[in-house]
Amino acid sequence: MRTVLTRLLALVPTLWAIVTITFFIIRLAPGGPFLSEREIPAEARATLQAKYGLDQPLLVQYGRYLRNALHFDLGPSYKFPSRSVREIVLGALPISLELGAWAMLLALVVGVPIGTVAALRQNTAWDHGPMAVAMLGVSIPNFILGPALVFVFALTLRWLPPATWGPPQTKILPVITLAAIYVAYVARLARGGMLEVTRADFIRTARAKGLAEHTIVWRHALRGGLLPVVSFLGPAMARAVTGSIVVEKIFAIPGVGQSFVNGALNRDYTLVMGIVIFYAGFLIVFNLLVDLMYGVLDPRVQLE
Amino acid sequence: MDRRTQGRARWPALGLLLLLLAVTMILWRLRGSHGHEVEYFGRTTPPDEEVFRFANGAEPETLDPGLLSGQPDGRVARLLFEGLVTPDPETLVPRPGMAKSWELAPDGVTYLFHLRTDSRWTNGDRVTAHDFEWSWLRLLHPDTPARYADLFYLIRNARAYKKKEIADPAPVGIRALDDSTFQVVLEVPTPYFLQLLTYHPFLPVHRRTLETWGDRWTHPEHIVGNGPFRLLRHRQNDRLEFEKFPGYWDAARVRLRRIVCYSVDDPSTMLSMYRAGMTDWNPSGYVPAQMIPYIQHYADYRTGPYLALYFYSMVVTEPPLDDPRVRRALAYAIDRERIARYVLHGSGAPWGNIVPHGFRDYPYPEGVHFDPERARRLLADAGYPGGQGFPAVELLFNTGEDNKKIGEAVQAMWKEHLGIDLRLSSQEWASYMRATVECRYQIARRSWIGDYMDPNSFLAILVTGDGNSRTRWSNARFDSLVAAAGREREPVQRLQLLAQAEAVALDAMPFIPIYAYCNREFVAPYVRGIHPTALDEHPLKYVSLARGEDRMGRAHAGEEQALGSAAEDSVAVGGATTGTGSGR
Repeated sequence: MRTVLTRLLALVPTLWAIVTITFFIIRLAPGGPFLSEREIPAEARATLQAKYGLDQPLLVQYGRYLRNALHFDLGPSYKFPSRSVREIVLGALPISLELGAWAMLLALVVGVPIGTVAALRQNTAWDHGPMAVAMLGVSIPNFILGPALVFVFALTLRWLPPATWGPPQTKILPVITLAAIYVAYVARLARGGMLEVTRADFIRTARAKGLAEHTIVWRHALRGGLLPVVSFLGPAMARAVTGSIVVEKIFAIPGVGQSFVNGALNRDYTLVMGIVIFYAGFLIVFNLLVDLMYGVLDPRVQLE
Repeated sequence: MDRRTQGRARWPALGLLLLLLAVTMILWRLRGSHGHEVEYFGRTTPPDEEVFRFANGAEPETLDPGLLSGQPDGRVARLLFEGLVTPDPETLVPRPGMAKSWELAPDGVTYLFHLRTDSRWTNGDRVTAHDFEWSWLRLLHPDTPARYADLFYLIRNARAYKKKEIADPAPVGIRALDDSTFQVVLEVPTPYFLQLLTYHPFLPVHRRTLETWGDRWTHPEHIVGNGPFRLLRHRQNDRLEFEKFPGYWDAARVRLRRIVCYSVDDPSTMLSMYRAGMTDWNPSGYVPAQMIPYIQHYADYRTGPYLALYFYSMVVTEPPLDDPRVRRALAYAIDRERIARYVLHGSGAPWGNIVPHGFRDYPYPEGVHFDPERARRLLADAGYPGGQGFPAVELLFNTGEDNKKIGEAVQAMWKEHLGIDLRLSSQEWASYMRATVECRYQIARRSWIGDYMDPNSFLAILVTGDGNSRTRWSNARFDSLVAAAGREREPVQRLQLLAQAEAVALDAMPFIPIYAYCNREFVAPYVRGIHPTALDEHPLKYVSLARGEDRMGRAHAGEEQALGSAAEDSVAVGGATTGTGSGR
């Protein structure tokens, strides 16, 4: 319990550092939030700048931002004046989370059996075949896989819609696109872990006791063999959620990634900052969860 | 990848091969299935319900008609609000809207609008002349960040009020005489004033809603409108949904029950959605130029002139571009026909004037054309014979495939014909914008879309002090000609004055025109009421979905015609007027 608290406290300085670096870096980018092909009248621009405090010295703006952020007030979006950053992020986050969660689930459901079978039937067709398919997932970048899937399943066979996020059938293609790379990772990690465990002493003991093969696999081997998968899961989940930008763009999914990219291009300072904070917090929390899970799965691991 | 996997490297290769094979076979079947019959890119049967779906481009920044500036924002606002007059779906000529009639006094500047008594806001309130007075004055208030406030400056004292020269709005020529009579007094007679009123800054807003909810008044649960549709749902970066507003005065004419407007700005995603039948209309501006050769034969692809110009602007105060002869030399050394044919895939409208195509009565002055001999002479006169001693100049453009290709073509042409070096500098949208606004560039790719159907919309930006010129060019004769045209009441005379002004600008060449834009859109064959218009404006209240027999026959007649003009004068737009992320 104390470990968890300490780790959570350590979150604060990390986040502060990230906020500070992001705040100043984005201000270094040329341009500003109120530029457009059509000139905004000078008086009106001054009003806008004053409204958002952009006329203040940078350090004052920074101080104000930190103070507000402490109260979870991430400010209004400059580009979407009718919405606050918090609203935009909270509206988009569940969608990115769902996309990431489905993708990870798919990666586990497909990757773990492939890896396990491959390890148990090492160097047979059961090993090479599925692992090759899994490798394909790693080798094809999602900006190729996505449009290819759209072309085949949405435009040619017309089984599934090519874009948007809503009813279940809209989720299939983006989830597969995002999951492809993780299926391969999970399969390879599971295979490696299982290979190692099946040669360990306690498995040999189990065999010597005359336990049935499936009991050995299910009871003893999987628990240890999947440790590498579990440790991969945290960063992978965080990455699936934060790294879905390309997939969101291809499939027009209203997730955090889209807001992030558009925010950066539009110099929507507050929106970008807000999303960076969410992303950072997300990564940290997930890594913590994984460490905790590690302790549960492997009695040898003690958290300090 | 560790060493153990290397032995298996053959497997993925084989898998990839199989996948490719499968895709090729599918493609083959796809091609084989169509004979010589008419092909449609999208679906040919309407959705079961009276619902119209389209991809709208980037997420609207705001739905506030007075403050918005993006084209997607405007499309949405015009569903929700209606002005004094509304544009005809084919000609964009002003038709009665909230005003059932109007008259112009003999002085030529006083308009009297008579409002309907039966028009309602979606909350049941009556739409009155006071709503218009309040909405227009709000836009003119010095603190309101309205990008289009300058369109109001032809109204008496509007500029003075906006610029804080007068503190009280009373002298501004905007007044509600009673609930149903609205008076507007202009500075000078303006023939395009009524046409201007169809534009979104002139749409009314509901005062109490704005005062109650502040910036958040456009949320679906608060928003109050007076247009043919009302907002049902809005999910950011996803979609807006509208339903017919039964209290709208002309509700009998509105056939659609619902409208779904997707906020998608990736052109290939938009095209996929249209192809898969998720949308019935893919508006102009989102068909990449490089795709034209593959799609222009489809019967639902449509193109027509669009009131917009692609040009290069120059900061005219810095050498060597401070010499008009140099600027003219650059302009005459560009082979626009070649650019149109090879860079824009043979579907371009090369254009050498500042005022784009489409004004029948306007006496266009002679524009620039490709004349390398003349270009060399001009450059020699300016002191750089054969380009000798001419410093390398830089072309700034916002990152984009078409901008780059055109830049490279111009680079080659200037090198070949003038012997001068052009550096290309590609910047993402915001940086590019900043540089042009602050005039920190030498030559920049620019574009301008007409706000209203008048040559003035293109010439006014070159008047001294206009923030959209971004060239530091100033010419007293040009200014006085544009001003004189503004005072002129005789239409023919007025256009002549404008043409003289354009001739002056072409002589000094702060802008080098390159091509005039064309609309490029997909309209499903069962959609009625979306006509190609020069401002790419489409009042959706007239849209309906045809079912059964009527469908194909009529669709064809219209499409044939559109296709006929396609080969002649269509032009690649390629998202040139689109800001990344906030596509317009």
